[in-house]
Amino acid sequence: MTAWEVLGTVLLIGLKSVLLLVALLVFIAYALLADRKIWAAVQLRRGPNVVGPWGLFQSFADLLKFVLKEPVIPAGANKSLFLLAPLIFATLALAAWAVIPLADGWAIADINVGMTYIFAISSLGVYGVIMGGWASNSKYAFLGALRSAAQMVSYEVSLGFVIITVLMCAGSLNLSQIVRAQDTSLGILGWYWLWLFPMFVVFFISAMAETNRPPFDLPEAESELVAGYMVEYSSTPYLLFMLGEYVAIVTMCALGTILFLGGWLSPIPFAPFTWVPGLIWFALKASFLFFMIAMVKAMVPRYRYDQLMRLGWKVFLPLSLVMVFVVAFVLKLTGLAPVS
Amino acid sequence: MTKILVDGIEVDVPPDYTLLQACEVAGAEIPRFCFHERLSIAGNCRMCLVELKGAPKPVASCAWAVRDCRPGPNGEPPAVSTKSALTKKAREGVMEFLLINHPLDCPICDQGGHCDLQDQAMAYGVDSTRYGENKRAVEEKYIGPLVRTAMNRCIHCTRCVRFLAEVAGVPDLGAIGRGEDMEITSYLERAMESELQGNVADLCPVGALVHKPQSYNVRPWELNKTESVDVMDAVGSSIRVDTRGREVMQIEPRVNEAINEEWISDKTRHVVDGLRLQRLDRPYLRENGRLRLASWAEAFGAIAAKVKGADPKRVGAIVGDLAGVEEIFALKTLMGALKVQNLDCRQDGAAIDPSWGRAAYTFGPTIAGIEQADAILIVGANPRTEASLLNARIRKRWRLSPIQIGVIGEDADLTYPHTYLGAGPETLAEVASGRHSFAEALKGAERPLVIVGQAALTRPDGAALLAAVAKLLQGLGSKAEGWNGLGVLHNAAARVGALDLGFLPGEGGLTFAEMTKAGALDVLFNLGADEVEVGPGAFVVYQGTHGDKGAHRADVILPGAAYTEKSATYVNTEGRVQLANRSAFPPGDAREDWAILRALSDVLGHRLPFDSLGALRKALYAAHPHFAGIDQVAASDGAAALTTLAGLSGEPGREPFRPAVVDFYLTNPIARASRVLAECSGLARGRALEAAE
Amino acid sequence: MKLDQVARGLLLKEFVTGFALAMRYFFKPKATINYPFEMGHRGPRFRGEHALRRYPNGEERCIACKLCEAVCPAQAITIEAGPRRNDGTRRTTRYDIDMVKCIYCGMCQEACPVDAIVEGPNFEFSVETREELLYDKAKLLANGDRWEREIARNIAADAPYR
Repeated sequence: MTAWEVLGTVLLIGLKSVLLLVALLVFIAYALLADRKIWAAVQLRRGPNVVGPWGLFQSFADLLKFVLKEPVIPAGANKSLFLLAPLIFATLALAAWAVIPLADGWAIADINVGMTYIFAISSLGVYGVIMGGWASNSKYAFLGALRSAAQMVSYEVSLGFVIITVLMCAGSLNLSQIVRAQDTSLGILGWYWLWLFPMFVVFFISAMAETNRPPFDLPEAESELVAGYMVEYSSTPYLLFMLGEYVAIVTMCALGTILFLGGWLSPIPFAPFTWVPGLIWFALKASFLFFMIAMVKAMVPRYRYDQLMRLGWKVFLPLSLVMVFVVAFVLKLTGLAPVS
Repeated sequence: MTKILVDGIEVDVPPDYTLLQACEVAGAEIPRFCFHERLSIAGNCRMCLVELKGAPKPVASCAWAVRDCRPGPNGEPPAVSTKSALTKKAREGVMEFLLINHPLDCPICDQGGHCDLQDQAMAYGVDSTRYGENKRAVEEKYIGPLVRTAMNRCIHCTRCVRFLAEVAGVPDLGAIGRGEDMEITSYLERAMESELQGNVADLCPVGALVHKPQSYNVRPWELNKTESVDVMDAVGSSIRVDTRGREVMQIEPRVNEAINEEWISDKTRHVVDGLRLQRLDRPYLRENGRLRLASWAEAFGAIAAKVKGADPKRVGAIVGDLAGVEEIFALKTLMGALKVQNLDCRQDGAAIDPSWGRAAYTFGPTIAGIEQADAILIVGANPRTEASLLNARIRKRWRLSPIQIGVIGEDADLTYPHTYLGAGPETLAEVASGRHSFAEALKGAERPLVIVGQAALTRPDGAALLAAVAKLLQGLGSKAEGWNGLGVLHNAAARVGALDLGFLPGEGGLTFAEMTKAGALDVLFNLGADEVEVGPGAFVVYQGTHGDKGAHRADVILPGAAYTEKSATYVNTEGRVQLANRSAFPPGDAREDWAILRALSDVLGHRLPFDSLGALRKALYAAHPHFAGIDQVAASDGAAALTTLAGLSGEPGREPFRPAVVDFYLTNPIARASRVLAECSGLARGRALEAAE
Repeated sequence: MKLDQVARGLLLKEFVTGFALAMRYFFKPKATINYPFEMGHRGPRFRGEHALRRYPNGEERCIACKLCEAVCPAQAITIEAGPRRNDGTRRTTRYDIDMVKCIYCGMCQEACPVDAIVEGPNFEFSVETREELLYDKAKLLANGDRWEREIARNIAADAPYR
């Protein structure tokens, strides 16, 4: 490879990254709005409807507000860590998207260890939370950070076993390969959500716990911790936390799409549905998952912390562990295992 | 004593009691409008109706004596019922009649909130009217600058008429017309001429007569009330100072049987705006002949620079008429530390020396004691202008049973008949020697009283005059046990207290007049003396409240607190020690006077040994125990004082007495700052001119 | 744990019914109004921003009786009174309401014998500084002039019930 080729590749990857970033942020802006609108609708409210037509520019107004506000750094805070924490959190959340295939071949880095990479990156996100909670030098923030860390670590375990079942079926850590493994003539019925149904449910719930979404938003439970680890944050640092959180949610939606809903695949495996670009299918599926997550927020009351821990360790962990064995046995006995 | 049954409770009361009084003894509350304890009985409001067993109809309890009640057929005590249905119905009827013509303008009425009619309508009023005609309309009357009228509201109780005729002794108000057409009026739209006229507004049970200067200013519920003592004259009337926020809004009388009963003079009441105007609120320093604003430190520094090098013989201190005992004591202690002998409190140069005994400079028989006197000789005083309430007490004595009252000095209208004996000391000598016909009246008296005023004492021959009076009293002998017939009438509230403290020239010290002469002193401390000119030469430190004569001459002005702004002790002309309480705070940078002197003493290097008012009072009471007896007159030996006084040498002069108070309304800096009193003074001067023509 | 319970749990019965219920609400008409563009109903007794009224001839109604000041439970009203310069009638020289202290209980308008101080229908008077919420007499009279039609209508509408 010549120097020019290297430079060209780097430029290409940079361009792709920027494109993905912009698309992702715009998607998140409207996901945020949709989140609020859905929540409002279930509660018979209107939700944001003043900024722009039907409130379409609300998220951009919020962004402007956050950016233009004065960042307040508490006197007792560790200044560098305090500012570093949201940066780490948001960056890591965005970094996960490097390996996500939006359509066939549409991944910035279609690496073979994609699944491991995502798992590693999303686990690192907890550092941002802990740093932020600790650097704030505040009781609420610290308690929120501890809760968040414990919660994320707990659910990562069962999440890991869930993914292992999928990996066993797909026989690859490459995310594109996982999607392709679901490409059968059965269409929607061939995807893993049906074959690994309990695991899909466990994944969905664990994803919410992993991203601190309601009903597992204990780290920022406002009735007891005000705003948890974000309580001392304002302005742009707060925006970064907020952004990171929503990116993580959308990441989980995308991951769910890839692992269980057949990624970019059309649900009905013949024309004219196969003509629809894979990107659209992918976006629709991710949006559907996001809609479900938003509905759960509107429907389900917040868990108690001990209930959350019980669910994670005593229900999901055994269940997913058993499923790993069951799936392994079935694959071995039926000979359906993709890898010998 | 007669037994009577009130609502089934048997009480034993003197037969000359009215039913109303008997009911009150029994604890029953009787509504009333026209009845007042200190006025004659009118019986015209009919609100006090009670049911008397055996009487054909309800009787007005205020006008029905207990002795007039008939006992029961078997000799049972007469029975009165104050809560029966008949009584209630009768009172409701009376109330309905009263309200027929009374306007429903309570919201704009200054009496609202402390109105008898309002209160009693709550108990006896009905909620609707059956009267369809127009209400009576009565023209407003002009009756002077102090009392505003709203005659629509008048319910014809005639308390005002009776007060002026009986207590004030000026028949300025009266009623004309009958029934619905009855009107209270001053007949000729003239201002009332009494110095006690403000009290008619207090007496008015409705809002027909209200205080004009405080028009619409206050509601009773928004005032903080502080009990205090008046300093406008040496009588020391008991007052209640009403403040809103930091501001004194009004001054009202407080019942004190020993001094002012429940009246106060107009000067006492309407000096309120004087407390706001012309105030000294920052220290000033004279530089190049002009006064400029200064800080306390600068002012103290300037004083210290002058005092440090000065010869104590060339330093002096004078005390004015409104100073409290505490600050005089502090000033005296400070001057003692500076070894200054030039002290004096006798601003008018009165011939008084505490060494003659306390009875020689106090009003021996006490003000309440006037009611026991059976012949009064007034020497060199006009009690009506110098001590209005003492004059009212003399009038009260005269109304009880007419007595002989002789006057030597100014021939003024004293509101009661008196014999004018003469204008000068010669007449006094004639009376003393028994040549004058009035001597007979004095000789025949059980308790003769001689009032000596400042017009006599402030003359150069004051001591001789005092000796002459003492000889006269000695000649009369004391017939009643414990009767002290010598009454010295002071005009200044601070005077007796300062004399008690001995704020007088020490050994080789200069007197007041000598100190204020040009070039007599290098440094002069002036604690509120505003009635005299201080000659040039001395560096004058003026500590006071108002920009008056004293402040104009001052080289350093230290702003002090007026009598409503500090807790201070005052001793009235009887020698009664009274406590004035703080109701407001001094304006701006002004401070309480003792505290100023304490701070100044620090700068002068002679720190006063008290850091708080409590510590000051402790030292004061240790040095002069009688100041601890608040509201009491310390016993003094009248006979011994008379002997000492009679032994004084000197020959009375011949010139007639000059009035000690020229203008009743403007006797002190606070009163001179008051616009209301200035208006009153102008009217009084106009009347005097009119009378002279 | 019974078998049917396990089955229901596995088939997410509760989630599905809950979801269905939430979706029903999702499409129901909204209970809220589109506030800045449409106003909710305000009854004639609505207690909003204060106003000092005038008589039709332009004379201010307030006679400085201070009953509102006395009755105010939050002590938000400060009145100073005196005779008016030109005709000597009883008027306020100062009429301040501290809108920050005010609890909008309406006692002042109940106490007022001349219907001078009223709480009008306006509730949109947010301001940018605290000082602007310390209303003085001029501001209150201006409010009265501005809202007189609505206030008069409200008083008339409520009159039969008083």
